[in-house]
Amino acid sequence: MKSTILSAMTTGWAARALRVVAFGAVAVAAAVPAATTAEAHGERSQQAFLRMRTMNWYDVKWSKTELSINDEMELTGKVHVFSGWPQAVANPGEAFLNVGEPGPVLIRKGAFVGGVPVPRTFSMEVGKDYEYKILLKARRQGRYHVHVQINVKDGGPIVGPGQWITIKGDMKDFTNPVTLLDGGTIDLESYGINWTYTYHFAWMAIGAVWVIYWFLTKGIIVRYWWVKAGKADELIGPSEKRIGGVALAAMLLAVLVTYGATNKEFPRTLPMQAGLLTGIEPIDLPDPTVKLHFMGGQYTVPGRELTIKYHVTNNGNEPVKVGEWTAAGLRFLNPDVFTTKPEFPDYLLADRGLSVSDPTPIAPGETRELTLHIQDARFDIERLSDLAYDTDSQFGGLLFFFTPSGKRIGVEVGGPLIPKFQAGATL
Amino acid sequence: MSVTTESGPITGTWKSKEELLGCVILTDWILLVVLFAVLLGSYHIHYMLLAGDWDFWIDFKDRRMWPTVAPIVAMCFAAAAQAFFWTRLRLPFGATTVTLALLVGEWINRYDNFWGWTFFPINLVFPSALIPMGLWLDIVLMLSGSWLVTALVGSMGWGLLFYPINWPVLAQYHQAAEVDGVLLTLADLIGFNYVRTGTPEYIRMVERGTLRTFGKDVVPVAAFFSSFISMLVYFWWWKMGIWFSTTSYLENEEI
Repeated sequence: MKSTILSAMTTGWAARALRVVAFGAVAVAAAVPAATTAEAHGERSQQAFLRMRTMNWYDVKWSKTELSINDEMELTGKVHVFSGWPQAVANPGEAFLNVGEPGPVLIRKGAFVGGVPVPRTFSMEVGKDYEYKILLKARRQGRYHVHVQINVKDGGPIVGPGQWITIKGDMKDFTNPVTLLDGGTIDLESYGINWTYTYHFAWMAIGAVWVIYWFLTKGIIVRYWWVKAGKADELIGPSEKRIGGVALAAMLLAVLVTYGATNKEFPRTLPMQAGLLTGIEPIDLPDPTVKLHFMGGQYTVPGRELTIKYHVTNNGNEPVKVGEWTAAGLRFLNPDVFTTKPEFPDYLLADRGLSVSDPTPIAPGETRELTLHIQDARFDIERLSDLAYDTDSQFGGLLFFFTPSGKRIGVEVGGPLIPKFQAGATL
Repeated sequence: MSVTTESGPITGTWKSKEELLGCVILTDWILLVVLFAVLLGSYHIHYMLLAGDWDFWIDFKDRRMWPTVAPIVAMCFAAAAQAFFWTRLRLPFGATTVTLALLVGEWINRYDNFWGWTFFPINLVFPSALIPMGLWLDIVLMLSGSWLVTALVGSMGWGLLFYPINWPVLAQYHQAAEVDGVLLTLADLIGFNYVRTGTPEYIRMVERGTLRTFGKDVVPVAAFFSSFISMLVYFWWWKMGIWFSTTSYLENEEI
């Protein structure tokens, strides 16, 4: 008997059941450590060439990283619209300044591009730089990753760098006061919600009464029998039609009364405002005094190293050194120039990620061949190394030169890359 | 429920008329709940796919596209449900039942998902009101007894009623405010304030089109157009409803 039970457990239904339970337990155990809170917004999932060659974000600043409910902060910065905008993406002729955050945990009280308010869609030109400012107000408690973002029509969202923002307090204390054109003030957070519930649920209750009334007069099955018996017309006689007529009159009267009362209460209403904002001025930048001529580039996949070669000509009157390369919101700094670590989200800041073949300053009037080495795990973590697998394997970004007097010269860089899949490959 | 006086196929299955009555009433309630749930689910998917953003957001509810699109796509299930409930059961509540089911589903969705999970305020995400349109369509069918009359007169009222029945909620959000020197309605401002990462402003279709002859009187033109298209939709979906509620049997020889 014992051997029969044992045999059943190892070969029969019991064994199958045990295997299912064991498999389920292993699956659950494997899933639990991996099931972390969703915190990012898919910014890494966008193709590398798209992020590098569309919007080049720089000087991004979050005025605060800790707020209480109702506190306000500013998200500011500049964006260079890349000249070599990829053919696969529509040009930013229609763009919208947005915020990447998990729902409206901070509300957007204001948004400006070039000092112009942009609550609507606006036009950008490729090759130009724009300054933006977003005013945010803390609404929901928690810790959130907040990005600047520009949505491009037919191009999709292009996400900039993100920062962790902590909000303390309780969302129930949040208010959003708005002054109407007629001078009154309302709290937009809750304005009109009780009336919306009342109006909708009242009509739904009336609808339910109508349904239940007819359901309770002969139900469904009996009516089916009557219709099958050819007595359908007897189910809706003059008395039923009288009820219908009265209900119709009452319904139309209710519609008329509520419509009239609404017009009386809100005599001045406007249609929604829409339309493209054009003519926003870009930043008036002088022509860069440093000229670059691209000589070739490669990405060494095993070493996570981007190597790009340039002929650099300094047409300025001060010597210059390469200090920073930025692309897709990441910053790679030359420690010879940046002796202190700037304030920026650590996951995007490679403070020793940039080195040059010749670190001496480039004198005014000098032309020099320079090889830049950009090497940091962040390049891979942020999935820029996927460039090697993109359909358009061209990189892009901004290179910043610095003079001894502290002047910064930004130059757009970009060009085709050759991926190297073996360690030790050289340009 | 007055079943006791009605004649039905009472056979030896039931011990008494009371037992039959109890069974009928219980089955009726089960049928009602099941039908309501099925209509809620299917109509909700249909309406979210076809009306979509126009129904989700207050700043999409304009004077032209919303009153044009929403009634037309809402008409499909209303006509089909009427076809079933009227021709099979002579029940004058098909359109009201589906619009009620849709709104129950929508409110659960808006409250639980839009507000509960992502914190969008209800004044951004409330759905379009549809119940009076359902009542109108049902009563026209009941009084006329004709699906043809309902297609013509009922559909006309269906389209024309849409904006007036939504205006009592909508009007308050069409008050104006000046924000940073820009004129906005409260509807625009709600959409701007409460960030939607995946819904940029340019995907709104606010009064786009070439019909400019009627000046500011956009709604009546849109409503009449919507009504005419709703008529066509009614004809089509009434037939769909008839087809869908017809049971066909195969003869033994055909199997």
